Amino acid sequence: MSTDSRSIVTLENLRSVSRTRSLAYGITLMVLGVLEFVWYGSAASGLHTIIQFGYNTATVWPVVSSPWRFLLLFFGVAIIALALRAASVPLYSRLVASIRGSRTMTALIGAYLVIWPVLLWAGINQGGQLRTMTIPVALTGDVFGVLSIATGAVLAWRRLDRSASGLLFTGLFVFLLGFLIWVARGSLDLQLTAILASAVAVSTFLIFGSVSGTLCERSGVVNIAIEGQFMAGALSSIVFTSALQGTGLSKTFALLLAGLFGALFGWILAVMALRYQANQIIVGVVIVAFCTAMSQFLVTQVLDLRQNLNGSYGLPVWAVPGLSRIPVIGPVLFDQNVLVFVAFAIVIMANFALFRTRWGLRVRSVGEKPIASETVGINVVRMRYGAVIIGGFVAGIGGAGFTLGPGSPFTYGMTSGYGYIALAIMIFGRWRPYGALMASLLFGFTIALSANLNLYLQQLVIPQQFISALPYLITIVVVSGVVGRIRPPAADGVPFERR
Amino acid sequence: MKLELRGITKRFGTLVANHDVNLVVNPGEIHCLLGENGAGKSTLMNILYGLLIPDEGQILIDDEVVTIRDPKDAVGHGVGMVHQHFMLIPVFNVVDNVILGSEPVKPWPVIDYKAAAARLLDLANEYNFEIDPQATIENLPIGTQQRVEILKALSHHASVLILDEPTAVLTPQETDAFMVILRSLKESGKSIIFITHKLREVLALADVITVMRLGEVVGVTTPAQADERKLATMMVGRDVNLMVDKAPASPGEVVLDVRGIYVEDERGLTSVKNVSFEVRAGEILAVAGVQGNGQTELVEALTGMRRPSAGRITLNGVELAGEPVRRFLDAGIGHVPEDRQRYGLVPTLSISDNLVLDQLDDPRFRRRFGRNLKAIKNNGVQLVERYDIRAQSEEVAVSALSGGNQQKVVMARELSRELKLLICSQPTRGLDVGSVEFMHRQIVAIRDSGVAVIIVSSELDEVVALGDRIAVLYDGDIQAIVPPTTSREELGLLMAGARAEQVTL
Repeated sequence: MSTDSRSIVTLENLRSVSRTRSLAYGITLMVLGVLEFVWYGSAASGLHTIIQFGYNTATVWPVVSSPWRFLLLFFGVAIIALALRAASVPLYSRLVASIRGSRTMTALIGAYLVIWPVLLWAGINQGGQLRTMTIPVALTGDVFGVLSIATGAVLAWRRLDRSASGLLFTGLFVFLLGFLIWVARGSLDLQLTAILASAVAVSTFLIFGSVSGTLCERSGVVNIAIEGQFMAGALSSIVFTSALQGTGLSKTFALLLAGLFGALFGWILAVMALRYQANQIIVGVVIVAFCTAMSQFLVTQVLDLRQNLNGSYGLPVWAVPGLSRIPVIGPVLFDQNVLVFVAFAIVIMANFALFRTRWGLRVRSVGEKPIASETVGINVVRMRYGAVIIGGFVAGIGGAGFTLGPGSPFTYGMTSGYGYIALAIMIFGRWRPYGALMASLLFGFTIALSANLNLYLQQLVIPQQFISALPYLITIVVVSGVVGRIRPPAADGVPFERR
Repeated sequence: MKLELRGITKRFGTLVANHDVNLVVNPGEIHCLLGENGAGKSTLMNILYGLLIPDEGQILIDDEVVTIRDPKDAVGHGVGMVHQHFMLIPVFNVVDNVILGSEPVKPWPVIDYKAAAARLLDLANEYNFEIDPQATIENLPIGTQQRVEILKALSHHASVLILDEPTAVLTPQETDAFMVILRSLKESGKSIIFITHKLREVLALADVITVMRLGEVVGVTTPAQADERKLATMMVGRDVNLMVDKAPASPGEVVLDVRGIYVEDERGLTSVKNVSFEVRAGEILAVAGVQGNGQTELVEALTGMRRPSAGRITLNGVELAGEPVRRFLDAGIGHVPEDRQRYGLVPTLSISDNLVLDQLDDPRFRRRFGRNLKAIKNNGVQLVERYDIRAQSEEVAVSALSGGNQQKVVMARELSRELKLLICSQPTRGLDVGSVEFMHRQIVAIRDSGVAVIIVSSELDEVVALGDRIAVLYDGDIQAIVPPTTSREELGLLMAGARAEQVTL
């Protein structure tokens, strides 16, 4: 009784909280900027870092061989962009305007269209052979340092409440970029595109996992069993594919099967949590324990003896015609294995389902205040069943990414805690599918970085083990709520009992 | 639409919550359902709304028997309900809340927000509500939230509206506005069932009054045939004294001195802002205000449960702010908390154990390394007798007691210590009239014995009846401290946020 009667949440109150936070973020950024300026900026002036934009010259389109042709290209793109914009205005209000963030998307795409020719031009070597960019380290440190300080200063002085997180992320991104350039200084090339591409590949299962978590928790059930659903999906899909010797059709059905196994464990969680009202966390942990034990049993007793059931079959890589030839984002986003596209599709579908459809509104209401949903005739338990089973399905498909994604056989413990990291990502993404996507990409970047950074380790004083632990460290920081005001669904993890 | 309940009986185990209840509501009628807490009003309405299934009896709509098994059935038959605790989702906006459960879709799974918003605005215009369809519920004032609840019911084509204690959360001004809304609903032909225990509102609004007591209908009357005294007698079953007998206060020394305290709630938002006041021995300071304006946090700060972020709390010259709760208790502060189940009692422990909860290190109740069970039992026997706690024995778990008797246990424990200051938060919330009288008498008696008393209550009647001075809390700040002779209108304005100088005192 006292909990719902307390507290007037006024906008004013919330603003003052986020303003205080904004001050803290600003100061942090400024400190980072100063460090950057002093530390990176002090690198010997002769040092350069070479950034590669593509895997090879063939993947980059269009071929630009001299700065002069670039000028033509630049204006051409600018004109096309303007024309496109003009043409889309009448459509914009009707179709796109209702989708939140579409404005930001247009701005981003526009900015990209303007910026990449500049990067290209800057990166062209004599003779137009390699799409790489040579960057002086010291100057970068100075410039990025100043940029970080400026962003921090704006944050700290203006005490922004709305646009704070955007500025914060820009600042952090600039800092990270500076860090990368500093780490890769010297003779080695910084394979930016390769790192980004592997980041996207790594984030695939994180996307599935965090979208699964988002779907479940939006309905008010904590799905801590994602790790177990990953294992079930990984194992079932590879066994199925191997049994059919990896035909194309078998892979499609293997994905479906993986999803069904995930859904099965989702259903078990739902029965325990909803019908028997067991503690959701404990049920989830038990499911993970069961899957771990079961997978170990199957690996040692079955798969080790009949190795033809645990083969190496990978999903096909699909280069989207045209799009995959765009520099940088082409190889990163559009030249990936099929599962990556499935992941993107699921994010878009989940977001649409949650925020635009009747089903989504009901799921969210059930996760916020089930008693209110019941009084308008919504069957709370049935909604939760649905969300948890669909969530399990999504996590199961994600599990297939461990085996079918890179095309490797199932090994015991190959999910290595990503199911739990996915939950942290869900929190970081603020229980929104698009947020989950962004956060997954960020985590994927950290993971890919920690794997790739070994290349530059001779220049690095930090031990490799520390770098490998970085994703987990970030998880802890995220979960402890450092990142902004995070508000879970109000009835998250609370059982519902009909009166 | 004519609605009739015939012979409704509902049992929970051995408890009969409704016994052979008959009720007829005619079209275009405001029908008040009057009764004490626990009289069975809410049970009856939950049956009508499909949240409970009756054991016996029939529901008739336009003289035809209908079955209502869940809220969906009720909504389908044109029954709408505005619950005492709003059934709104705080983080959703107005449109989402109104359409939830009957969303317009086009094409199929996609919600047609344009149509939904248009329909909402049409409906709002029809009844002269001003509402922003995109506003988030938690940012709206309580009165507006209530309007959203009503709109929600209307949008489901409700022709009978059940309003469960709708004025409990409103300021007097909001209540007036609310009554205007009710009359306009009535004029448009809706039937209204208005559940309340406030006699004044019943007489001002009702066409027909049904009085319930102990699960049965004890009478049907109209405002023309009844007055407050008569209604109260019907409601309680005996003559009741609506006024609190108390002599004028004779304030002594300043006991509690609060200077400029700020308190944050658990989310880090400042909910008590620069509050200063003092309380003298032998007087009652009543803190009035609409729920959620910082009362909870203020009381928690004054009892040591929450550390104020700034300011001083001095009791008889001893600085207490930031000290542990133990020091507050030892300094002579007694506390009757607003949520007695959670903070006042350990429900699974016996009455006698609960009566010594805060005195276990008192030499009387201590014995080497354990408790002096005999002394604790004796203490229990004595206090149960003195405070007339109705229970089979002092060894019964307090969870088995009624709300009134539980509150008596809390009060008995607090008063069994040597007190300088007694803080009672919502002392009579959810109690029957008999227990209310008892609590009020105890509070006045402890004042007369020279103890300083602070009463926090959202019931304006209680504040006016008990307080020697009234402090009005709004948005974490004391608007003014006024004498109890202040009119209800002026108090209402202060509670709604008007500054003292804007109110002609």
